[in-house]
Amino acid sequence: MMLLALSLAFSAFTALSLAMDKPPAGAPGSLPARPARRRQWRVVGWALLAAALAVCVGRHGWALGPVLWLGTLTLGGLALAFGLYPFRPRWIAPLAWALPALSVLATLL
Amino acid sequence: MKNGFRQSMAWLHTWTGLLVGWMLLLIFMAGTASYYREEISRWMRPELPRSSVSTDLAAQRAVDYLQAHAGQAETWFVTLPQPRNPAMTTFWRNPEALADPDKGRRGRFGNATLDPGSGEELNARETRGGDFFYRLHFDLHYIPVLWARYLVGFCAMFMLVAIITGVITHKKIFQDFFTFRRDKGLRSWLDFHNVSAVMALPYHAMITYTGIVTLMFMYVPWGVKAAYPQDEARFFAEAFGGLPDIATPADGQAVPRPLVQLLDSARRHWQGADVSGFTVTHPGAGNAVIDIRQRDGKRLSIDTPTLRYDMVSGTLLQESGPPGGATATRGVLYGLHLARFADGGLRALFFLSGLVGCLMVASGVVLWAVKERPKHARNGRTGMGLRLVDALNIGTVAGLPIAFAAYFYGNRLLPLQWEARADAEANVFFCAWGAALLAAFAWPKRMMWTGQLYLGAVLFAALPVLNALTTDAHLGNSLRQGDWALAGFDLAMLAFAAMLAMCGWRLQRWTPPLSAAEKKKRAVTAAADAAAGHSGAGA
Repeated sequence: MMLLALSLAFSAFTALSLAMDKPPAGAPGSLPARPARRRQWRVVGWALLAAALAVCVGRHGWALGPVLWLGTLTLGGLALAFGLYPFRPRWIAPLAWALPALSVLATLL
Repeated sequence: MKNGFRQSMAWLHTWTGLLVGWMLLLIFMAGTASYYREEISRWMRPELPRSSVSTDLAAQRAVDYLQAHAGQAETWFVTLPQPRNPAMTTFWRNPEALADPDKGRRGRFGNATLDPGSGEELNARETRGGDFFYRLHFDLHYIPVLWARYLVGFCAMFMLVAIITGVITHKKIFQDFFTFRRDKGLRSWLDFHNVSAVMALPYHAMITYTGIVTLMFMYVPWGVKAAYPQDEARFFAEAFGGLPDIATPADGQAVPRPLVQLLDSARRHWQGADVSGFTVTHPGAGNAVIDIRQRDGKRLSIDTPTLRYDMVSGTLLQESGPPGGATATRGVLYGLHLARFADGGLRALFFLSGLVGCLMVASGVVLWAVKERPKHARNGRTGMGLRLVDALNIGTVAGLPIAFAAYFYGNRLLPLQWEARADAEANVFFCAWGAALLAAFAWPKRMMWTGQLYLGAVLFAALPVLNALTTDAHLGNSLRQGDWALAGFDLAMLAFAAMLAMCGWRLQRWTPPLSAAEKKKRAVTAAADAAAGHSGAGA
């Protein structure tokens, strides 16, 4: 369950970073995308953040859930900003798709 | 000061951060370690048995021990074994008449740590374990506890100002949310400081504010003094106690109910929640009562529900009442700071956030020196202020990890049977830190940075090896037995060694950036070479 929350937070932040006017250093040269595309990424990003919160609260209740959610955001954001964007930007897109998918599978099985 | 609101905030951020930065590093490192203080304590007492007996059996053993060794006490206080802490602690208070005159205020108290399996006192090496770090981060060491708490509170309040002014001053906080440009000197340091601060901002603000809340009656005592001018103790009893003291024991002895029965009544009342410990007042007397505490469950608050039973009749006398709004709020804030509710994954996230906090503070103090240095390069020599900051930076950022490692070496190497070894271990910590600081003051240069970082890396890396040479609780065994507390400790030591080594290596390979004049000179030379090469090839 925590893996799922972490994956959702990571993908959420990836989507939100794609929606930025000035993408982070290391982002592919095709960014920033057109405004319509950016709006889509923004919606997806916030939706994934909400999904991560739902997963945390659903599993742990309203007391511990938000605390856990903030923790997953920290880890997801740090992985992107310190790990992937400066060193391995090409891993970001594949990971952002694969991690939530794998986590959902792992939770269901 | 400066013109403009943002600039004033930047000035305030710099000075509130810099003046208490090194103390904050100590507090943050020790506090972060405290998230795993039980695991650290287990690693530091590898003789401790790993048995898991049932709560009821452990409770019975505790009571049997106390009956035999503290039968005359007024109060028995028992903490039952927890999943993360297999030992059982007992604590008792004797009547005034039986106080040990040699020990002053402490003469009325006794304590013992028991093995829940055998019911006997533990025979393990004397050590404060992880609790040393826990106490260190607010009681410091060597100075009276009251002074330490005021000092730590002062630093925490400065840090709160630093956090708030940092956010205000960080104009592009959203645009630069993910921005970390590496290998760009000052720019990289600033980016690192910003990202480590912002990514864990909820945590940093929470831990600082709640830390102040835990000692708020010390820092802001006047409300209590005004409302309870003669009798402050009554405030605490009313706000938090709930269950009143029973001053005098009844005459005559009475046989209490079986302990299991009382514990089961409590569990039924709580619909399944387990017991974390209990307090018996006037054991053996006719009016003996037992206060049973619930295990820290899924609640944020530090205040745990307590039930009071009459030990002779077994009836439920009282329940700790629902707390008032202010008490409940304080309970949650206090609870967030201690994070007792946090298990496996959440605890790891708290620990990670604490580490990020250490990196934030460290990058801040280093950033100041990096920014300040060019001003001194122009004059040709380093001023006293920068030299002081450089020395403190090296001695604390690189020196404190050395001290932490040294503490663990002390635990493994000091003689096992020595009673004073707990204090000696603490002394080892401070001797190591002192040596690092002295060395840093003697030679505050890049070589000292790399030297201390590498030394820290070597010490941490060798610790699991020392563990294997001196005990049975080494990685080979702990991994095989699936004992993740012990294995995790050794693995964490290796991880810290790797991080320190990487920092040392990068610093060793670092070359100073070229000045503008130097760059121009090289550009001219390169152009001349290219022209010569062209004409040579053409000819």
